[in-house]
Amino acid sequence: MITSCIALLSMSFEGCKNYLDVNPQGQITQAQIATDPVAAQNLVTGIYNVFYIGGFAPDIDSFQFVIMTDIASDDGDKGSTPTDYGDALQIDNLQTPATNGVVNNVWNGYYQGIARTNQALGQLQTATFDATTKNKLIGETRFLRAYFYFNLVRLFGGVPKLDHVPSVSEANSPQLQTRASAADIYAFIVSDLDFAVTNLPDKGATDVGRATKSAAQALEAKVYLYMKNYQKAYDLSQVVITGGKYSLVKDYSLIWREKPSAAGDGGNNNSESIFEIQAGINKDCSAGINLYTVSQGPRAGNKYGWSDLGFGFNNPSASLQKEYEVGDVRKNGTIIFINPTTPTNSKGTVLFDGFRIPSQDSVQNSTYSYKAYHSRTAESNCGGNTDRLPKQVRILRYADVLLINAEAAVQLGNTGAATTDLHLVRARAGLPDVAPTLTAIWHERRVELALEHDRFFDLVRQDAVQPGRAAAAFAADGGKTWSATRALFPIPQAQIDLSGGKLTQNPGY
Amino acid sequence: MRKIFTSLCGAVLVCILFVNASFAQQNIRGTVTDATSGETLIGVSVLVKGTTTGTQTDVNGMFSINAPANSTLSFTYVGYTTQEVAVSNQTTINIRLASAATQLAQVVVIGYGTQRRRDVTGSVATVNGDELARQPVQTPTQALQGKVAGVQVISSGQPNSQPQVRIRGTGSVLAGAEPLYVVDGVLTDDIRNINNADIISVDVLKDASAAIYGVRGANGVVIITTRKGKIGPPVVRYDANSGFSQLANKVKMANRDQYVAYLNDADPGKIKSSDAAPLTIPGTTDWYGAVLRNAFYMNHNVSVSGGSDKSDYFVSANYLTNNGIIQTNNFQRFTLRENSDINISDKLKLSSQLSLTRGADRAVPLGDTYNSIYRAAPIIPAETANGLYGNTSAWGNVGNPLLQINKTNTLNIGNRVQGNLALDYNPLKFLKLHTAFNDDVVFNNNRSYLYQYNNDASTFTIAGGNQRQTNSSLTAEQNNSYHYVWDNTATYDQTFGESHLVVLGGYSMEKFRSSFINGTRVNVPASPDEWFLSLGDPSLNALDANGGDLYTRQSFFTRANYSFGGKYLLSGTFRRDGSSRFSTRYGNFYTVGAGWVISEESFMKNQKIFSNLKLRGSYGELGNDNIGTGLYVVTAAINQPYYFNNGTLTYGSVIQDIKDTNLKWETTNQLDLGIEYGFLNNRLTGEADYYNKKVKNALTYVSIPGILGDPDNQYVTNAASYKNEGAEVSLNWSDKVGPKFKYSIGANLAYNKNTVIGLNGGQALQGGGVGGQGNVTRTDNGHPIASFYVLQATGIFQNQAQVNAAPTNTYEANKVGGLMYADINHDGKIDANDRIYAGSYQPKFFGGFNVSMSYGDFDLNADFYGNWGNKIYNGKKAYRYSPEDNIESNYANNRWTTSNPSTTDPNVITQSTPASTYFIESGAFLRLNNLSLGYTVPSELLKRAKISRLRIFATSQNLFTAKRYSGFSPELQGLDPNNTTNILSSGIELGTYPTIRTFSFGLNLQF
Repeated sequence: MITSCIALLSMSFEGCKNYLDVNPQGQITQAQIATDPVAAQNLVTGIYNVFYIGGFAPDIDSFQFVIMTDIASDDGDKGSTPTDYGDALQIDNLQTPATNGVVNNVWNGYYQGIARTNQALGQLQTATFDATTKNKLIGETRFLRAYFYFNLVRLFGGVPKLDHVPSVSEANSPQLQTRASAADIYAFIVSDLDFAVTNLPDKGATDVGRATKSAAQALEAKVYLYMKNYQKAYDLSQVVITGGKYSLVKDYSLIWREKPSAAGDGGNNNSESIFEIQAGINKDCSAGINLYTVSQGPRAGNKYGWSDLGFGFNNPSASLQKEYEVGDVRKNGTIIFINPTTPTNSKGTVLFDGFRIPSQDSVQNSTYSYKAYHSRTAESNCGGNTDRLPKQVRILRYADVLLINAEAAVQLGNTGAATTDLHLVRARAGLPDVAPTLTAIWHERRVELALEHDRFFDLVRQDAVQPGRAAAAFAADGGKTWSATRALFPIPQAQIDLSGGKLTQNPGY
Repeated sequence: MRKIFTSLCGAVLVCILFVNASFAQQNIRGTVTDATSGETLIGVSVLVKGTTTGTQTDVNGMFSINAPANSTLSFTYVGYTTQEVAVSNQTTINIRLASAATQLAQVVVIGYGTQRRRDVTGSVATVNGDELARQPVQTPTQALQGKVAGVQVISSGQPNSQPQVRIRGTGSVLAGAEPLYVVDGVLTDDIRNINNADIISVDVLKDASAAIYGVRGANGVVIITTRKGKIGPPVVRYDANSGFSQLANKVKMANRDQYVAYLNDADPGKIKSSDAAPLTIPGTTDWYGAVLRNAFYMNHNVSVSGGSDKSDYFVSANYLTNNGIIQTNNFQRFTLRENSDINISDKLKLSSQLSLTRGADRAVPLGDTYNSIYRAAPIIPAETANGLYGNTSAWGNVGNPLLQINKTNTLNIGNRVQGNLALDYNPLKFLKLHTAFNDDVVFNNNRSYLYQYNNDASTFTIAGGNQRQTNSSLTAEQNNSYHYVWDNTATYDQTFGESHLVVLGGYSMEKFRSSFINGTRVNVPASPDEWFLSLGDPSLNALDANGGDLYTRQSFFTRANYSFGGKYLLSGTFRRDGSSRFSTRYGNFYTVGAGWVISEESFMKNQKIFSNLKLRGSYGELGNDNIGTGLYVVTAAINQPYYFNNGTLTYGSVIQDIKDTNLKWETTNQLDLGIEYGFLNNRLTGEADYYNKKVKNALTYVSIPGILGDPDNQYVTNAASYKNEGAEVSLNWSDKVGPKFKYSIGANLAYNKNTVIGLNGGQALQGGGVGGQGNVTRTDNGHPIASFYVLQATGIFQNQAQVNAAPTNTYEANKVGGLMYADINHDGKIDANDRIYAGSYQPKFFGGFNVSMSYGDFDLNADFYGNWGNKIYNGKKAYRYSPEDNIESNYANNRWTTSNPSTTDPNVITQSTPASTYFIESGAFLRLNNLSLGYTVPSELLKRAKISRLRIFATSQNLFTAKRYSGFSPELQGLDPNNTTNILSSGIELGTYPTIRTFSFGLNLQF
């Protein structure tokens, strides 16, 4: 008996040498993914997926980015109830402290995107694709990294430049924690985009939704406009224009619809769209930008009594409404106006899909963004899930390229090209031609691109060209006080603390 | 030689014994019990008089010895009078030992073995199973409340909920602060499957003596031993009680007038549409009345036990109905247990224990619903006579909670088989080999169905609002787990003269494997017969998930206990534990302990004051590995969706989470110094302990820079350290007055001070999110874990001059009737930098006392429990979603208005009102936990019915609570009891299931 017990025990010891070597169940480890031949390709797709983050958490192109671009500008008022979301209110009032949560979330969101690009680039270096496929994937990755850094440099100025995956131990190295200069970051963006322009296929030669050569050219043209390199901005935008692959959607309001009109005008990935975040209806309703639409949707208030569409943020401002010329069709394509309650029996506001918003006595705010609207009935949704409605945000579109081209042309003295560009944009809006001056083009940019997350950056850029513009614009937006130091947001205090003070703060904070 | 016929019904077991008596030596078996209580006595020395032949009684009080037929057996036991019995050819000798006090003789279970209380060097408390079974509660842990010094139990009125247990303070934040449970050798975290009536004793290892459980012992160990049969004819017991539960304490909400007056201040102009029927009603809706109920409670327990010299058995069945006080919240549980021992030979014994449990829990969506009941507007009807619901959300208020409950059908069915098979072999008198295979198998089947309904006039009194369920939805889940522990021990037990040495060596291996599979479908038909995933819409919002977990542990352990002359005690434990959950697999844990029984010294023999006096101390190191599996492995997320080509779903992957690849267990070092005492012939007994417990390498979140791209910008690592330092004291007095009146009084009290002593680069942890106020607790250096960290409210603005002079409030504009706050940093504005530490939910003192008395055939028992020196955050009052949320009647009466210039309560509380000391209240309470009155029918009356005992009783759980807190319950389990960060939200009342009061009547019947 004793013998058999001992035998049993010793057997168990033998069998137990590897008893504790247990792998996590149902999870793919980093080591496993490195041996997967399609890993690099999947990692590139995984970068695009980062566009879906957002909400009240790290954010790239969702609610928090909307706050830092539209609400921060003279185009959007904070909206919602007066006291809702104090962090957004600080930004709306140009009183953003370094401790503001929105600023930290956007910082983190963009670096998450950058981390995904660097993960993919690391994997691509050892991938065994043919050179064309490999360079195309690297091109897409570098295009996306350039887009992330372009927004970061415009929001914060110089930021830490990460061109590879850092280890935790490396995280505290001065090289990573110290801010590169804005010029360095711009040079980094240009080098990424140069590569992308060279290696990316044309529109039509790659999947719809992936970065294309034209997208890289258009983005680089915009980057050069910010760098005041008007010649390069003009040349690159001109290549896109003469390439003839894009044309303006005929009906401005159809640009943001999910489906094209019966005549094929507008809709997702329309003739005007150069780079667009793709979304869809997957089984677990995770393929949409979190809270992008619902955060900007009309909100019930006062008498309530209806199923509202959102949180009511980013209301088109009085200043924006005034900017439109009489007869500009873009005004009603951009703004949802809530009708007053008097006269009695007001029928409220009926949207393109027939949805009726009651009159003002049941609605929190008086204007909302039409461009962020996504119909619950005429457009697809995921089983009633409104957090991730499949709204495809248009990041770069042809009208922007035309106006970049026009502005660069004016700066270069080429008013002929500018006149043509301006004509195209204004004719669609139902407006007559005007002389191509900087002021006219900037006015055009504001109304054409209103609530498309461009205005704050544009205003700061224009102010650098023509000082005083920002101060005037904000004074006209409810009498807000502008100062030059507001051109950049503060580096998040949390990040400065985590860097052990190696990250320096922007002046004025 | 022996045949056992077992009837299939299991009700009767007959043993026929054929004993061969032709040898001079014969085998004698029997059970030793306490003469007064009838409890079996463990470790009683049984000696053949005049020889060195002897043995001890086992955990069931049974002994077996070979002795000549004409010899005399001597039974000795500390604290008992020695008894001698002539064998005279008897083969079964049952002994009833008389004692002055049972406390000293008690045997305690110390993990992989037992020890006489007198010989224990650690701090171990024992609670008799009868004390637990007496209370009408589901879990043994809840019944432990107030019984053991230093053991804090936080229970909930929610059926089938697991009470939170803190032994000597909160020792962890992320790795769990709950103790380890060991049920008859099975290690588990969940003992909701145990029938209280099956428990014979609960032993709590409070100090470093828990190091015998190594990497799992840091939070203390609760060892549960279930009943076994005793030698003798079958004993049939039937215990039943039935009654009801109700809300123990109702918070009075505002009536119509108070609410309207408030709303006129909070949202002027809103009220003009208030009279519009059918949205509103002219009277006041009592939402608690509409949603709560008196809930039925019933408990039936049948057991049969008995045994012979070759085997014993215990079979029990239990049926429990424990309904919740929220409508539809029902819980039923059925348990079966079978414990048996078979003596295969004199040296070989096979033991088995098996329990089967099935529970069916109709759960309610608690957090949401309970919060909604509080906030629901009193001018909106709950439900009308024609079955339409009041439309609270159309009023800008919460969703109608009654509708939410009625439109949700959740049923969680749990099946669990727990048991073990053990073989004991005594090859030599001083050596015992033991092997036990312990299993725990769980199968759960959960489903939740949400009925479809619209916000139209077919559901509500008026259409509108946002409360609706556009599509019906079914979620179904099946999960299962299999957990085994294989223990092997060898025990050497030898006496040399006055020395007694027990050495234990063991090896244990443990594996846990679980998996779940679940799915969600919408548009599943409303008939319960059709609640299956395949009847839902396959194209819309169809989710499926499947996952699992696997981990293993392997341990080597040894323990030595040495005593000299019953006076000098030494003990030591060493355990080497391996766990697959860490990259550094193995850790070493140990304890050393010493004791001195002063009262056994010769110089104490002549004094009459102390009948017992013992000093003891222990020091050791324990671990806590209670974290998720694979936390140190960097993983990739696959199947990250993106769309190309206008609708082609493409999956990408992401490597994103940054992990600490060197993660290891938390380590606790604990010192315990104790004194045990008995006075006046042990009528007054008790013990007192001092302890100092330091946790180092505690897991905590460390923030990492955003540039690393980690999604939550933090990772878990071993960085923090915490300290719990305190003292415990307990006292028991028992005596008789005359022949009929007996009484005993027991009390225990514990003091604990919890402090975070280092974060070492970790961030201060935030927790306890209360609506718009955000996190209200903070865990930082120098303060207790989860301290409230809020603004300091200093009063109410009485006039505009005060408002003008006050610092700017960055949360909401200062105004007359609003709260004033202290500008702690004197920067002229009230913001997050002005927050102060305002106490925590962890009590300074807690304890209980109980009184039990009997007079003739009547018995009365009262248990009290209480705690002092802790704080509660009134989260439900602070959580304001809209001005239409209801308020409490008290607040309505006290709030500042022009006609009532209050200095304590603000005019209105809004969504922007920041977290402050205004919402913090005292958490002190004292409760009459259990009051039982019983009457035992005199046995003469029962003899003809062959009933050996009949007792009828009435009992009430939580009859009365004295408290200062204004809310429903001072017992709060945190905001999300299923989440690892729950400890950080301790003491916030927000959607908490309130404490219930139970009344029950029953009987104990024994044949």
